[in-house]
Amino acid sequence: MKHIFKLISISLISLLVTFSAANASSGVFKLSHDLGFGKDTNLDAITKGRLFQVVIMTQNRLVRKDLKGVTSAELATDWSGNADATEWTFNLRKGVKFHDGSDFDAEDVKYSLMRVKDPDIGSPAKKSMSSVTDIEVIDSHTVKMKLNTSFADFPLLLTDYRLRMIPSGSGDTIGKTGIGTGPFIVDKFDPEGTTILKANPNYWEGAPGLAEVHVIAIPDGEARVQALLTGQIDMNRYVPFTQKKIFDGNSKFKTTVVPTGNWRGMVMRTDTAPFDNPKVRKAVRLAVDRQELVDLVMGGAATVACDTPVAPSDQYRLNMKCPQNIKKAKKLLKDAGYPDGIEMVIHVSTKEPTWPTIAEVMQQQLAKAGIKVEVKMTPSKSYWKETWMKKPVAMTRWNERPADSALHEIYHSGAKWNESFFKNPDFDKNLANARGELNFKKRRKAYRNAQKTLWEESGTMIPYHVSKLVVTSSKVKNLDEVEVFSVRWHKVKVD
Amino acid sequence: MENRKENPKNILSKVLEVLSTMASKPSGLIGLSILFFHITLAITSPWFVPYDYKAIDPTLMLQAPSSEYWFGTDSLGRDVFTRTLLGGRIALTVTFFGSLIALLWGGLLGIFCGLVGGKIDDIVMRIVDAFLSIPWILAMLLIVSLLGTSIEVLIPALGFFYGKGIVRVARAATHDVIAKDFIASAKARGHSNMSIIWNEILPNVRDAILVEGAMRWSWMLLGFSSLSFLGFGVSPPTPDWGLMISNARGLMSFAWWSVISPIVGLSSLIIGINLTADAFAKALGIDRSTKAPV
Repeated sequence: MKHIFKLISISLISLLVTFSAANASSGVFKLSHDLGFGKDTNLDAITKGRLFQVVIMTQNRLVRKDLKGVTSAELATDWSGNADATEWTFNLRKGVKFHDGSDFDAEDVKYSLMRVKDPDIGSPAKKSMSSVTDIEVIDSHTVKMKLNTSFADFPLLLTDYRLRMIPSGSGDTIGKTGIGTGPFIVDKFDPEGTTILKANPNYWEGAPGLAEVHVIAIPDGEARVQALLTGQIDMNRYVPFTQKKIFDGNSKFKTTVVPTGNWRGMVMRTDTAPFDNPKVRKAVRLAVDRQELVDLVMGGAATVACDTPVAPSDQYRLNMKCPQNIKKAKKLLKDAGYPDGIEMVIHVSTKEPTWPTIAEVMQQQLAKAGIKVEVKMTPSKSYWKETWMKKPVAMTRWNERPADSALHEIYHSGAKWNESFFKNPDFDKNLANARGELNFKKRRKAYRNAQKTLWEESGTMIPYHVSKLVVTSSKVKNLDEVEVFSVRWHKVKVD
Repeated sequence: MENRKENPKNILSKVLEVLSTMASKPSGLIGLSILFFHITLAITSPWFVPYDYKAIDPTLMLQAPSSEYWFGTDSLGRDVFTRTLLGGRIALTVTFFGSLIALLWGGLLGIFCGLVGGKIDDIVMRIVDAFLSIPWILAMLLIVSLLGTSIEVLIPALGFFYGKGIVRVARAATHDVIAKDFIASAKARGHSNMSIIWNEILPNVRDAILVEGAMRWSWMLLGFSSLSFLGFGVSPPTPDWGLMISNARGLMSFAWWSVISPIVGLSSLIIGINLTADAFAKALGIDRSTKAPV
């Protein structure tokens, strides 16, 4: 009898141990970042130098998009607006703790979101929060956000990848600590080397499947592909489609094509001659064969865009056709006072592997309209600091944002990241009208009118929205096949 | 070493004699043949390439070698054979003139320092040492970032950076010559420094400097291609081996043809120049293994 009891006890203990081991965090997941902001790289999500590859794993938003792209609860459990959508009440998740052990509550929400508006911080996300005049703490887990205008899509705005919750009063240190409520805790922050994250065992959605995440700085795009091939990293979300064949049929890797609202493009500064003339800008845009770019650069895996930053799946996107029109481009150049065409230098770098190729293809396309292009390489490491928003013509890339955020943030005359220095009162007015319009159809019309203005006058040429080729090591399991900001990182495992 | 001024020879016959000596050895013959082949190709290729080097075509992306496209096509559907044939033109032009500039300034400054000696020599050589301590690629990247990547910038910049080593060789060779009696005689006759350099020293150090220049040419070619590889050489769509290798390196595992041809082109030219330079040194009676320290 004694032996039987012993045997049962041992079996039960073994089962318990096996069960615990199966649910414990284990394995190291290695990924890379491009060190886009050099030494300014930090973990404060609302600053220009935010290292989003880390922030998305350590901090949560109030609202996120689910795997189908629908607005869903994250740290807010539910929300409601008043009749004219000028006040929004959010109920917050209870029992959630920050990595430093403190409780997440309404004061943290007020602090995290109101600091976005702080002029001293100069956050690029400031424009997204411009409509919020005050955040009232109703009780420890309820906040009311007051807007200066009706904004029917306000919860959608809060899905912005930068609007993350941090402990109240932690603004001075957040750039280094990265403290949040997310599934991973910053163990060592080394922006120019390897940043190490450890699993947060108390994560409110359950303990992560990984013990550690290593985020390694690799500035060059080609080097990142090689790092994946040699096993230095386990995931690369920026593999050019021309290199898909390297991984196809290789059992060591898994490739996934994820349609996104991310885009690559070329910026012409509207405050610099000859691009201060809208006719010149439109001539350049008309001379581009976008479908050819999609085929040559993306191997067909992209959706043609007519210079709108709004994602193909977004309800407010203006769908139009914009085929190459050399004759019209030449006429516009002539009308603008350039009958013999213009010369321009496109600044590129290998920070984004497709930039040089896009520029090289455009070089041939624009030549047909008398636009002589020189492609000039600039150093990857300092691209965002020294080239972007500095040179008259440079390449750019953006991640997907809700329509309102994208339009405000990149083109509004007061936006910090208005990369083309675009200023158009009609455009600004349309955006203001859209925000205040409660009728969906009218709101959509206003957003689309704004996009029409971009097609006519903007300084940014957006040829397509990319479908992303995500390549992971076959050891990586449970990675959601969605854009990076919707991935549920606590579910990822590495064998 | 003798004062060759007293035995002037017809330059043409001297060149032919040296070439004949170089070609008498297998390595020299191979080197000269490769170099001749590349130079001929660089000059004549625009007249017989089968396709437009810049014509992109989405329907022809990464085609394998075929009877129509002998070396296949690249990721933009351009003919690799055409681009390989044309790919050495800019590199040869830039590095040839760059080497001439390096020879001129490096050789003359080295001889001058060797002749005058003293504080001027000390100061100049310490400046040269300081420049030698700067990695050339970093300095070149700085220059092209500031001034652009046009040929007008690349030729003098490469000429400057590759001339630093020649200064030391020319100075060391000059030291060997200035102890000779005919230099003392020239000084006693009241000849100026320039006259002594031109008439007495140059004919005696010329061979050593020329051989050094030939070697620098192949190094400069590799350096220029490295710049192109990094994207800081010639600008697209100009065909250039370094740029072609850079663009195709990510495709190597499944589109080897797009990267093999420029690699063969570049490496064969460098080997050709090296073999030629070695044969050149031997033909002039210079033992490169015991030459003055650089």
